[in-house]
Amino acid sequence: MAHPTPDLPPGQLESRQGHDPHVRFFYFLVAGLLLLLGAGLAYQQLFNSSLRQDQEVFQSQRRILVPGPRGNIFDREGRLLAGNRPRFAVSLSLDDLHAEFHREYILIRNAYRANDDKNLPSADDMAQIARATVVQRYLDFVNQALGRQATLDRKALDLHFRQRLLLPYMLIEDLQADEYARLIEQLPVTSPLQVYAASVRDYPFHSLAAHTIGYVSANEGASPDADFPGQHLTTLKMKGSYGRDGLEKQFDARLQGETGGAIYRVSPAGYRLQPPLEKRTPVPGHDLTTSLDVDLQLTAENELEDRMGAVIALDIHTGEVLVLASKPGYNLQDFVPHLSQAEAADIYDRGAYLNRAVSGLYPPGSTFKILTSIAALRSGALTPDDLIADCQGKVVIGGHTFTCDNGEGHHGELSLRAAIAQSCDIYFYEAGLRTNKINPEVLAAEGRRFHLDRPTGIELPGETSHMIIPDPAWKKREQNNEGWFVGDTANMAIGQGFVRLTPLGMACFVASVARGEVYTQPTLLHDPNAPTQHHESIGLTIDQRTAIVGGMEDCTLTGTAKILATPAFQIPGLRIAGKTGTAQIPGKKDVAWFICFAPLEDPQIAVAVAIEGDVPGESYGGGMNASPVAAKVLRVWKAKQSHDWHSVTFPGP
Amino acid sequence: MLPKRFDQAKPFVTLGVAAVAWLLVPAVVKRGLRLSFFEMRAPVAATASFVHDLQDFWALRTHSNNDLLEAGRQTAGVLAGYELSVQQKDQLQAENERLHELLNLPAEPGFRFEHARVMERDFSGWWQQLTIRKGTNYGLTVGAPVVSAAGVVGRVREVHAYTAVVELVSSPGVRIAAVLEGDTRPISYQGGDNPALGPARGVVDYLPVDVLASAAAPRKLFTSGLGGVFPANLPIGLLTSVEPSADGLFKTGGVQLDPGLASLAEVTVLVPLPAAVAPASAPP
Repeated sequence: MAHPTPDLPPGQLESRQGHDPHVRFFYFLVAGLLLLLGAGLAYQQLFNSSLRQDQEVFQSQRRILVPGPRGNIFDREGRLLAGNRPRFAVSLSLDDLHAEFHREYILIRNAYRANDDKNLPSADDMAQIARATVVQRYLDFVNQALGRQATLDRKALDLHFRQRLLLPYMLIEDLQADEYARLIEQLPVTSPLQVYAASVRDYPFHSLAAHTIGYVSANEGASPDADFPGQHLTTLKMKGSYGRDGLEKQFDARLQGETGGAIYRVSPAGYRLQPPLEKRTPVPGHDLTTSLDVDLQLTAENELEDRMGAVIALDIHTGEVLVLASKPGYNLQDFVPHLSQAEAADIYDRGAYLNRAVSGLYPPGSTFKILTSIAALRSGALTPDDLIADCQGKVVIGGHTFTCDNGEGHHGELSLRAAIAQSCDIYFYEAGLRTNKINPEVLAAEGRRFHLDRPTGIELPGETSHMIIPDPAWKKREQNNEGWFVGDTANMAIGQGFVRLTPLGMACFVASVARGEVYTQPTLLHDPNAPTQHHESIGLTIDQRTAIVGGMEDCTLTGTAKILATPAFQIPGLRIAGKTGTAQIPGKKDVAWFICFAPLEDPQIAVAVAIEGDVPGESYGGGMNASPVAAKVLRVWKAKQSHDWHSVTFPGP
Repeated sequence: MLPKRFDQAKPFVTLGVAAVAWLLVPAVVKRGLRLSFFEMRAPVAATASFVHDLQDFWALRTHSNNDLLEAGRQTAGVLAGYELSVQQKDQLQAENERLHELLNLPAEPGFRFEHARVMERDFSGWWQQLTIRKGTNYGLTVGAPVVSAAGVVGRVREVHAYTAVVELVSSPGVRIAAVLEGDTRPISYQGGDNPALGPARGVVDYLPVDVLASAAAPRKLFTSGLGGVFPANLPIGLLTSVEPSADGLFKTGGVQLDPGLASLAEVTVLVPLPAAVAPASAPP
């Protein structure tokens, strides 16, 4: 019940005299609370200010990172193998639609209320509907302008809004030239809809040298340099790419551009406030000039057609790789912007992921006889003129019958030169057995001397390290403690049995033989001033070398590769030293080999070809199948040397 | 009685009340007022323009009869040449239409030409525009391309009852899908950030990296016709400089525009015909 107010003159308020002890308690209470508040404020200001400042910055600033474009990859003559191409998209800056979203939200809310709808969505749901409605309107405009029927992915939109609001939202990607031209003209300059150009990888020669060049995949954006400020800020990254295979992977750090970006202050709702606090322009990555020669590479791949195999050509002096072809291959453009599941499955089913040049392991077959010859000559087991065997087509070694699979099977008595030319197995069984008498490890030691037991170290990821130069210790280790038999040596002498080498390894081997040295370091980087490589000499006398190289030339004139002397494959003015091989893998397909170098009098280019046969168990000879491929490569090389060749200057189909 | 201080503050209070009232006025009313103001002001500007034309007329009247006769003879020669060109153009157009029909190609955008006198010029750092003496009374539409003998002039930005505002090609608000002479790849032309009295320039984006140009060896820039607004092959200007863009994907370049843009007296508005493929309506 209210107390009656005493009569007071107008304009005067009631006042109390004296102090009420009950009220005094509240004075102290309020003073105490104020003191506490002041102390808290002082504590926050004096001791926690830096923490609060950091929190304020973290909450109010966002960092956007834009990866720099990748560097280009060229062939040795400056032709673009991998570059960047613009990929036009029409993007919508959600960041600029704050007011529109809000207006739409109000309209939707009012509509629900006006209809007295009992199932009123939550505020979040209505905001989501409002955003989708607004974005759909913009998409409708784009569809009308382009004559498309693109649809809105509401989930993606919602995710983008929540996680990447400051980045442009892509409405339609991969616009054609006329489409982006249409939008350029029809979109107002200040519209939140804009044409957006992103960089994607471009491989002008499509499938050419696919395994060597490699491909890239999208990533969530590169990391900026350490001195790029704002490491502690919430960071949004534009998608970048990283090398997944080949040179793209091997030289990823070099090809990657320098990340740029900007730091923006944002409103409490997350919308960007201009201008940026900090801005850095992305810088393109470094270019890479490879040693590949597009003309030779194209020739090699065309000659391989749809067969499985590999072709390698090396500059004998520098070790620069002119050709590194592996088939079957794949179209690098299929990886842009990403490889579809169907295409990935197709590549897998065809066995096209394998780079047969550096990871294909095959018995070298008769091409290994060059190494057997060198080992036998150097160990003293053989002289060039020794007629060490009388080939009658078969011989019994260690209780097993070994046959001569080359020629008619009756080579008779042969010297080393003729044996190489005719690729007589019986001769090389005997040569191998003679080394075996000296030491069962002679052949393996010579193989190791030529670095055939280890990866070449070429600048490619995935080069196999499982090549095999067998010896007694290896067999004991890998074959259940089994001992080394003379038959193993005989098999090894003709490049069969346990021997497994890569086409690249054999290319390096024949380049080394051409230079008279034991090692060739291959490289895929072109250096116009690269010096000639110098390694340990093979250590053959002139007679010994003449016998081997002469035999190799005879091979291409009258021997197992005499097809190269026919008008279809003959290269006037070019003397070729080569050796064929037909490797047999029990139960599997044969492998046709051919290794060679040219010109014989001044070796400059070495070529190795390995082609898998079509049908398991069916003979697939190196002379008929592999040597013509090498001849075509050499023909183009010779024509280029003679300036009688029109180089490819633009991509093929 | 109000305190003296309030009396002194009365003007400020009034201004404040007016400002608040203006803020509370609905946007539709504001827009109506603005348009009304423009329409009311238009006759004054148009009259000034007519007076200016009259001045020009009397200035020309001072020429001697001999000068006029000579000019007439020259004009007759030029007209004869034009007449021939018109006949050739009609033949080519007929042939073009026949081929279109034969190949079942869609009809190319057609335009009606509407010549208009320039009434006012308004050049600033923010925009560069002309006001012309034709508007909805001649069927002009917003967005219609405007050309002159020198090439692209700009686009119609606003259309009023008897006048229209043309945003010049030098204005940053104008963007055109362009091509370089001898090249089919579309690039983006946009008006530059031009000073009020300086030479007009524009910029191009998305230039392919193999494009070279310099002041000594400029490249001609034309409309591409791909944008759906401007017909193809109208001259825009000269590409006089290029430099790599920041992302390394393209080049950007500077375009020198026709200096005559600042002194145009007459322009032609290309009014799209109803049958033509209309560009998409304005974005939301």
